[in-house]
Amino acid sequence: MSSDIELVGVFTTDDQCAHAVEQLHHVRILGFHTFAPFPSEKIAEAVDEVREWGKSPVRKWVLAGGITGVITAIVLTVGTSWEWNLNTGGRPIASIAPYIVIMFELMILFGVMGAINSFFILSGLPSFELAPGYRTRFGADRFGLVVRVAEGDDAKIETLMREAGAEDVVREAA
Amino acid sequence: MAAAVDQRNHQLTYIDVDRTAQRVMAPGGLKYWLWVGFCAFLVAVGGSYWTRQIYEGLGVTGLGQAAMWTVYITNFVFWVGIAHSGTLISAILYLFRTRWRTAVYRCAETMTLFAVLTAGLFPIIHLGRPWFFYWLCPYPNERYLQPDFRSPLTWDFFAISTYLTTSALFLFMGLIPDIANQRDVAVGWRKKFYTILACGWQGSDVQWRNFSMGYLLLAGLATPLVLSVHSVVSWDFAMMQTPGMHSTIFAPYFVAGAIFSGCALVLTLLIPMRKMLQIEDLVTIWNLDNLSKVVLLTSLVVTYSYATEIFMVWYGQDPIELATFHQRFFGAQGYLGLGMLFCNCLVPLLLFSPSVRTNTVWLFVISIFVNIGMWIERFVLIAGSLSTATMPSQWKFYVPRATEVLITVGSFGWFLMNFSLFAKFLPIVSMTELKEGIGWLRKSQRNSYPYRKAA
Repeated sequence: MSSDIELVGVFTTDDQCAHAVEQLHHVRILGFHTFAPFPSEKIAEAVDEVREWGKSPVRKWVLAGGITGVITAIVLTVGTSWEWNLNTGGRPIASIAPYIVIMFELMILFGVMGAINSFFILSGLPSFELAPGYRTRFGADRFGLVVRVAEGDDAKIETLMREAGAEDVVREAA
Repeated sequence: MAAAVDQRNHQLTYIDVDRTAQRVMAPGGLKYWLWVGFCAFLVAVGGSYWTRQIYEGLGVTGLGQAAMWTVYITNFVFWVGIAHSGTLISAILYLFRTRWRTAVYRCAETMTLFAVLTAGLFPIIHLGRPWFFYWLCPYPNERYLQPDFRSPLTWDFFAISTYLTTSALFLFMGLIPDIANQRDVAVGWRKKFYTILACGWQGSDVQWRNFSMGYLLLAGLATPLVLSVHSVVSWDFAMMQTPGMHSTIFAPYFVAGAIFSGCALVLTLLIPMRKMLQIEDLVTIWNLDNLSKVVLLTSLVVTYSYATEIFMVWYGQDPIELATFHQRFFGAQGYLGLGMLFCNCLVPLLLFSPSVRTNTVWLFVISIFVNIGMWIERFVLIAGSLSTATMPSQWKFYVPRATEVLITVGSFGWFLMNFSLFAKFLPIVSMTELKEGIGWLRKSQRNSYPYRKAA
């Protein structure tokens, strides 16, 4: 049986939560996650400093989707024109200029699909199990910091969170 | 009144934002359901006339040989145009980090979705045999037949379906955190409904990281898309040789017109809605003031486009084009052309006055004029140009019959019914973005004209 416990720190502002994350970084604790009712840049920067995530890979999926869309459109337009090889009025069988419209639209469509799919996959959605330490107020007006620590270290981390401005710190079995 | 709203806004907290949104989504009363029932009645009337048209054929309409594209295609262009303001406010202004958009963008985005859904109906309604509409889609078949990818109508199919998909996904993605918020407080069947729609969102750091990047990129993709969609719609006309339509200015002219009419409809919907749903704390005079500035700006662009179009015809001295434009403003239906100029060019000039921009009654009246004017613009452009094409022997001014009129009325019922249902069951204001910007929202409002005036 694990002797770890989870400390759930409740903060009223994102400043306090970000400060607590920075303090955790100083004491080299990386086993934590945060909750926020909106995308806070302060928390994102603090977390990024600890985890060195860099930019989200969603953008690579969008790029891949866009390229796939253009290729799909080329295959669809040029391919079907060549398949039905009928010259009308001396125009080229495959007229690239008007096909650019189709290529553009499918590039956007597939890029959007890439963005949505990657957002869901990388964020672990859909998932109908609540993450440890989640409170409904974290979706409304409070910021949460959930830290997994060994049982003997909990007092130190609780003090750290309270000093950062935590309104409340709750212990939970991990 | 502005001072009272200002006072409330100074004290706005995260919980106030949630409570206001939850109040809007509380079960609707008798008045609400009577309104939805009335909209459904309009849909039923329009639907019954469409059924009759399918059964008896297009002969029951006023469509003729010269003017084959009239009210239905006018409605199509009108509703696509309406949709554009939503993407402008939600995507383009998001990229520019425009502060006033936060309270109104969800409403505009919802309008986009339902406007595109309504617009998509009209090319199908316009078909004599609507069950064959799928012929526009590329699909494998034994005769190796595919749509002509050189045709603007095929471009339209791709553009509109991409726009519908993108708008729906963009709206849904932005809704997820707000729906999760509702999931945590709802009870009964609503809790199950929101639990499914929220997809397990909890607002963790990983989720927000991917959300922020995904939403930014979606906004980046939606921005060129919105410009392309109405350009493609304009090419439905500009690619034809018909006088009055064959013009290179159409793409930017249509895009500006679309944003103009769309922002006006956002005002038309928001002004009564903020009163009825009691969201004046969130959607303030400051938001309406800024929105009306966009209406004014796009009105000036549209006016400039009209002037350029007329100048190009005069400078070209093509007798057929000259005759078409003479008919447009001084012919048998010239009152429509002049009415268009009055509604789209003159009436919006009132918005130069700050006191008009901060008066909801004036704003509502002006927005109605703009909506009417922009519908007339499309009608004049389509029905007017086709009625007076190159063969004077075929000239025949189109007059709509009950079928087209009632299907048009039904489309408004369809749009308003969907919008009203959405507002009751899903958050019509973005709680997430309002909370994110609550600090600078107060500051910006304090520095804006209505509050300085009230102070």
